[in-house]
Amino acid sequence: MVKEIERAGIPVVHICTVTPISMTVGANRIVPAVAIPHPLGNPSLSIEDERLLRRKILNTALNALSTEVEGQTIFEVT
Amino acid sequence: MKLDVGYILIKDIVFAEKSEIKDGILRLNAKELETLVLEDERFLAVSFDIARPGESVRITPVKDVIEPRAKVEGQGDIFPGVISKVDVVGSGKTHVLRGAAVVTVGKVVGFQEGIIDMTGLGAEYTPFSKTTNLVADFTPRDGLTPHDYEAALRFAGLKLAYALGRLGVNISPDESKVYEFPSLMEGIKLYPDLPRVGYVQMLQSQGLLHDTYVYGVDMKQSLTTMLSPTEIMDGAIISGNCVSACDKNTTYHHQNNPVIEDLFAEHGKTLNFAAMVITNENVYLADKIRSSDWTAKLVDHLDLDGVIISQEGFGNPDTDLIMNCKKVEATGTKTVIITNEYAGRDGTSQSLADADPSADALVTGGNSNQVVTLPKLDRVIGTLDYTEKIAGGFAGNVGSDGSITVEIQAITGSTNELGFNYMSAR
Repeated sequence: MVKEIERAGIPVVHICTVTPISMTVGANRIVPAVAIPHPLGNPSLSIEDERLLRRKILNTALNALSTEVEGQTIFEVT
Repeated sequence: MKLDVGYILIKDIVFAEKSEIKDGILRLNAKELETLVLEDERFLAVSFDIARPGESVRITPVKDVIEPRAKVEGQGDIFPGVISKVDVVGSGKTHVLRGAAVVTVGKVVGFQEGIIDMTGLGAEYTPFSKTTNLVADFTPRDGLTPHDYEAALRFAGLKLAYALGRLGVNISPDESKVYEFPSLMEGIKLYPDLPRVGYVQMLQSQGLLHDTYVYGVDMKQSLTTMLSPTEIMDGAIISGNCVSACDKNTTYHHQNNPVIEDLFAEHGKTLNFAAMVITNENVYLADKIRSSDWTAKLVDHLDLDGVIISQEGFGNPDTDLIMNCKKVEATGTKTVIITNEYAGRDGTSQSLADADPSADALVTGGNSNQVVTLPKLDRVIGTLDYTEKIAGGFAGNVGSDGSITVEIQAITGSTNELGFNYMSAR
C-alpha cells in the first residue's frame, strides 16, 4: 500500500513496529512504532504519559512527511 | 547428559474400571481422570472421548496435543516447573506411551485452534491422525477470561498426560533408545574431525496467548539461552499457544522434535551435535534485535561450524528468523533455516514477510494457504461452531454435503516448522 500510494505521487510515512520488514518491502519514510499488539500506544503507561508518547510518534511522522529523503530512512522517535 | 528413552507401544485406548496398561492397551477410568482435572475450579465440566486412527472423527477446536511420559530413573520429573518441581531433567530413564496422545479441546480464542481429522484427506495433513487420542473437551465456568481458560486448559492437558504416563512406570518398554549429549569439550575430543553443528530453536512468545514455557518460565521474559536437547524430551518446553494450528509447536512436537532426532541420528557419524540454543519471538523490535544478537553471540562463542534454525509461527517472527540467520551468518557460521510459507492460495505470492541474501539455504514445511476440502465425517468431538472463523477458514466454507473447505492453516501441525509433518515434494 505504501508503495502504491507513493507511485501515485503522494509521500507516505510508514509507522510500524518491525522496521526491517518495512525496509525489505521498500518504504521510504519509516517511523518505529511501540509494539506489534499496540503500535501507537503503550498500555503500561499512565494515560497522560501515553498521550505524550502518541503525540511524539505523530509529530515524528508529520516531520518525516515533510522531510526530503535520498533513500530509505528511519526517523527515530525521540 | 544421557537419557535412556523406553517406548511402550500403545495399540489402543479403552475406558475401563481400573486405569492400567495391559498387553499394550491403555485402559482408563474416566471418572478418575474427571476428578483429577475438575480439581481446577475454573472448569464446569469435562467430557472424555477416544479417537482412533482411521475412525470417521473430526476433533476441533484443538488446543494442545501431549504425549504421556514418565520419569523412571534420574533427577527431576516430567514437565519440570509446571507439573513437577523445578529440577534439572534430561538424564536417567524415561518411559513413553508411544502411539497415545492427550488432545485438549476447548474454544479459547475460537479462530486460533485447530482441526484433527482421523480419516480422509485431512488425516493426511496432521500427524495426530496416526496416534490414538484421549480427547478431553472442557467447559469453562461462566465469565472465565480467555487467559485463565488457556492456562486452565494447558495445566489440565499436562496433568492428564502426566497421569497417563505414570501408568507406564512399571511396564517394560518394547523398544528403547539412548540419547547422549556430551559436554562441548567431550564432544570435541570424541569427534575432532567432525563439523560442530548446533540447533537454534525459536519459540513462539508473542504474548496474548501465543506463549511457550521453559521450566515454567514464560519465554518472552527470557534472553536467548542454552539447554541439552534431552531436557526437552522430558517436557522442559511446553506449549501455551493459541495461534494458527498449522505451524504452532504443540507440546507433543517439543517432546518429539525431529530436528533433534535427526541431529542425534547423525551425531558422531557425519557431524558433532554440539549445542542447542533456544530463543524467543517477541513483539517489541528491541527484543527481536536483542534476542537475535544473543543468538549470534552464543553461536559465535561456541565456535560452531553450522546451525539449523527452526521458526515457530509466521508473520512478524519471519523477521526474528531472518535476523537470526543474517547475524549468525555474519559471524562466519553457516545456517540452514526451517520455515513454512504463506504464498497465497495459488502459491505465487512472496512466501515470507522478510528476506535476506544470507538466507540461502531453506527448508519449507509447505504453503499454509493451500486450500483443501475435507469430507463430512460421522462424528465430531468438540464443535463445528468455529469452522468459518478458524484461521484458514472463511465465511460460507461449510458445504451442503457437510464438507468443509479450509486452507491447511487450520489443520493442526500441517506445515510444522520442525519438519514433523507429511508434506513432501518427493
